[in-house]
Amino acid sequence: MKKKKSVAIGAIALLAAGAGLTGCSSSSSSSGPVDLTVWTGFTGGDAPGYKQIVKDFNASQSKVKVTMTVQPWDTIQQKLPSAWLTGTGPDIAAPAPDPNVIAQYVKTNSVLPLTATGSGDTKINTSKFASALTKEFTYNGKLYAVPANYATLSLYYNKKLFKAAGIASAPTTVAEFQADAKKLTTGGTYGLSLADNNTIQMWPILQWLSGGEVTDSKNCSALQTQASIDSLQPWVTLVKDDKISPVGQSGAEADSLFSAGKAAMEINGPWAAPGYKSAGIDLGIAKIPVGDDGTNVTLGSTAPLAISAKTKHPTEAQQFLAYWTSKSTQLKFSKSTGFPPLRTDLSDNATLKADPTVSVFASQVPDARLYLPQVPSATQVDANGYVPFIQKVTRDGDVSADATSAAATINQLTGCSS
Amino acid sequence: MSTETLTPAPAPPRTAPDQRRQPIRGRGNGLDIVKWVAVAAGVIVAVVPFIWMIGTSFRSEADLFAHPASLLPTQWTLHGYKGVWDQLPFLRLLLNTVVFAGVTTILTLLFDSMCAYALARLDFRGKTIAFWLVLVTLMVPFQVTLIPVFIELFHLGWLNTYHGLIIPRATSAFGIFLFRQFFISIPRELDEAARLDGASHFKIYRSIILPLSKPAIATVALLNFTALWNDLLWPLVVTSSPDLQTLPAGLALFGGQHVTDHAVLLAGAVISLIPIAIAFFLAQRFFVAGISNTGLK
Amino acid sequence: MTTGDTTWGVKATPHARTPARTPRWRSRPAWLFMAPSLAILGVFVLWPIVRSFWYSLHTWTVGATDQPFIGFDNYVQLTRDPQFWGALLHTVEITAVSVLLLLVIGFFLALALASENLVTRIIRSAFFFPYVVSLTAAGLVWRFLLDPNIGLVDGLSKALGWGAPAWLASTTLALPTIIFVSIWKNVGFVMIILVAGLKGVPEDQYEAARLDGASRGQLVRFVTLPALRPTILFVSVILTIQSLQLFDLVYVMTGGGPLFTTDTLVTLLFRDGFVNFQTGYASAISWVLFLLIVIVSALQLKFFRYNDVD
Repeated sequence: MKKKKSVAIGAIALLAAGAGLTGCSSSSSSSGPVDLTVWTGFTGGDAPGYKQIVKDFNASQSKVKVTMTVQPWDTIQQKLPSAWLTGTGPDIAAPAPDPNVIAQYVKTNSVLPLTATGSGDTKINTSKFASALTKEFTYNGKLYAVPANYATLSLYYNKKLFKAAGIASAPTTVAEFQADAKKLTTGGTYGLSLADNNTIQMWPILQWLSGGEVTDSKNCSALQTQASIDSLQPWVTLVKDDKISPVGQSGAEADSLFSAGKAAMEINGPWAAPGYKSAGIDLGIAKIPVGDDGTNVTLGSTAPLAISAKTKHPTEAQQFLAYWTSKSTQLKFSKSTGFPPLRTDLSDNATLKADPTVSVFASQVPDARLYLPQVPSATQVDANGYVPFIQKVTRDGDVSADATSAAATINQLTGCSS
Repeated sequence: MSTETLTPAPAPPRTAPDQRRQPIRGRGNGLDIVKWVAVAAGVIVAVVPFIWMIGTSFRSEADLFAHPASLLPTQWTLHGYKGVWDQLPFLRLLLNTVVFAGVTTILTLLFDSMCAYALARLDFRGKTIAFWLVLVTLMVPFQVTLIPVFIELFHLGWLNTYHGLIIPRATSAFGIFLFRQFFISIPRELDEAARLDGASHFKIYRSIILPLSKPAIATVALLNFTALWNDLLWPLVVTSSPDLQTLPAGLALFGGQHVTDHAVLLAGAVISLIPIAIAFFLAQRFFVAGISNTGLK
Repeated sequence: MTTGDTTWGVKATPHARTPARTPRWRSRPAWLFMAPSLAILGVFVLWPIVRSFWYSLHTWTVGATDQPFIGFDNYVQLTRDPQFWGALLHTVEITAVSVLLLLVIGFFLALALASENLVTRIIRSAFFFPYVVSLTAAGLVWRFLLDPNIGLVDGLSKALGWGAPAWLASTTLALPTIIFVSIWKNVGFVMIILVAGLKGVPEDQYEAARLDGASRGQLVRFVTLPALRPTILFVSVILTIQSLQLFDLVYVMTGGGPLFTTDTLVTLLFRDGFVNFQTGYASAISWVLFLLIVIVSALQLKFFRYNDVD
């Protein structure tokens, strides 16, 4: 019996010994450049753009060396909280492609408030960011992240299908948008390719255009208001009765429908353009049509970049974020990826304006709104509230009844008490 | 499946003596045709996804969208493979994956068979509990233990190390269970005789049980190797250094948020399949042909 | 960290009192043989399971300074969560249907392909190959195959004039489609293990039965099935456990949608734990799942009378 115990202890000791061997290998030397690690989940067409930022930064100076690791977003979501808790995580990370995720890290004190803000190339120029962005990342008066990118959604259309239907140009008003969608829906093709799950949200734009809202300023659901119901109903009718779009598509399916030339229009971000072109679509890109009240609106999407509260190099990390969001870096990034610049002082830039793709996305930066900005439990409001709501009404639901039940779910999640 | 069919009958039924005695294969030719048609249909369902996958990895987007009903490309292009090759430190990933899956599989075979030997061949108090402890570890999805395991690895200082990658995966309840079921079927007289000759347990395990268990070893080796090879999450949890990344982790990046190129994605999937296919065809000979000596119980 | 250690240390103690029939020297090496496996499983699986139970009694979030203890509130909340009941139902449906069909189809294939020749070997390989492919890759390929626009399935179906159902976007078709892919993935495993089992059935048992004039069906029922009992036990326990934990396939193919119709317990706990940061609540879900698996496995072991095979 004694022997057995000693075996057990021996086994544990063996495991522990292995631990000791590597435990001491993580000492950082005081001389040489400061090493910073960054985790992001950027893949696809824009990925080389981010890699270039890191490369340029490392080349621009010799005191800080940044290493960026790209992992799937799911993995980052699963690992980052524990990694930052134990202090083994990266100095800087994009925790998710969803800006709202920062709230959670602020709550657990895992992210560093950014203080190196101001003007000039060495500071984070918050005053030059699109205003929705700074607001989104500020909690209790402190800034906790910077935008890694800023994408707006535009209207992609298939010129060949438009010509075949005898439509000369992309729609510019909601009424034209709806009429065209209907007209372009023929036996084999759909007028519009709408996705409702695993996608960047498209439906809120349709509602915003006609005065609808998802949530109000107090984070209460606005879905059940008459204005929201009225904004949604025509689109639901178009989908259900006129079959302008397949129901229940994921983002990937919606994209492949458009790529296959079987949908005349799709609302999507700048990342989609290269794929559509390589699929052989005669592609047009236009601004989202003007809303009923004459104002422009589209959805903006951003991924946050935040610094670990436990980083040993807060100054250098902020220096890197300042570089990332600086004017010259953003100009280069926009040119190479087609993403609009996240800064307002580039919206009039001549080179960007000359680019037919970038210019469409960039011109909508001032009109862009974030989806569920700073709404508590935003991911759940989306997953348990808005997504099932759209899925229900486009199948066999009733807009006003489903809006009421979705509103109850949302209000419970946000803790809204009105 | 009814209870009745699974309950063992004590003896085969005795039928009337005047019934014709005929070998089993002589009957039911009609049934045979139905059987082989069903098998053939099954083979098509099993294989077509792979042919389509390989074919599509050589297709351009335009071709894919234009001819969805075609199994093979109308024009062949290598751009999917170029895309993967250009963007990944391929040999490094391959090496890491081979080390991770290979070393871990070897350790797993050793530890699992030892553990199963005790569970199958030795009598001791607490055997049922030990068996259940092993079995219970199969019953928890990894997502559940991810956070506590990560924190443990941190306290051990094993994050971003090869042993952190390997040791926690160096045994599998699945393998122990499979080995145990196999070892039970080996006649006990063999080790009784060896024991009378004064052989130690280790000697019995090594020179009697293991040599008789080649089919089981091949089966566990193959299943473990492929499971480890395919494991995306574990290596990503333990390592964040690009130097230690494995192939599935590298390939997963092509399946990210805004995937627009199916050929690249499927080229990645095809590449990750090749080593498994090789391992499979190597082991297949063993574990199907060799298994006839001793049944798996 | 020492769970493995203490549990089996304590359990091992009474071995001195084992009946004299069992020679003493047999016991001690048993634990030695099991030490590496039990140490690893104890440290990296069993103890974390215990930890997750501890989390489930709290409003637990990674990194939070305050983890309020709430007793069994998470479990009480589960009973009122329609998503949980939905996920539980789908998990049970997927498991019941797929395990049953897998055993039946796998058994049929094993019988048809048990003989040794080149043709059966090639066919067996074809059926087995999907099993060794990663679930992620399999899910991906099937998602594309079933895509209404680029997929072969609907491409062919349209060419034949049958229309193009949106398999994964339909609330009624999505779950059966997932079950189908899960069967496609696993049927070769069942077949290969059962083929191995068939080889172990002594030929003289068949011979004796044949001499007694048993028909083909009778041979299967009275010779093959009883002899395969331990093998079927192994296969069904493993399949049930895997199926109750189904995640990757669903995650890749539908993410639990549409309208949560393919949500399983593990996709739900993934969402709650890692997307919504409710680790405590996710741990409660996992413990319900864990207990479900333990109970089902215990029933299976009892039903197949695991103890009398050795």
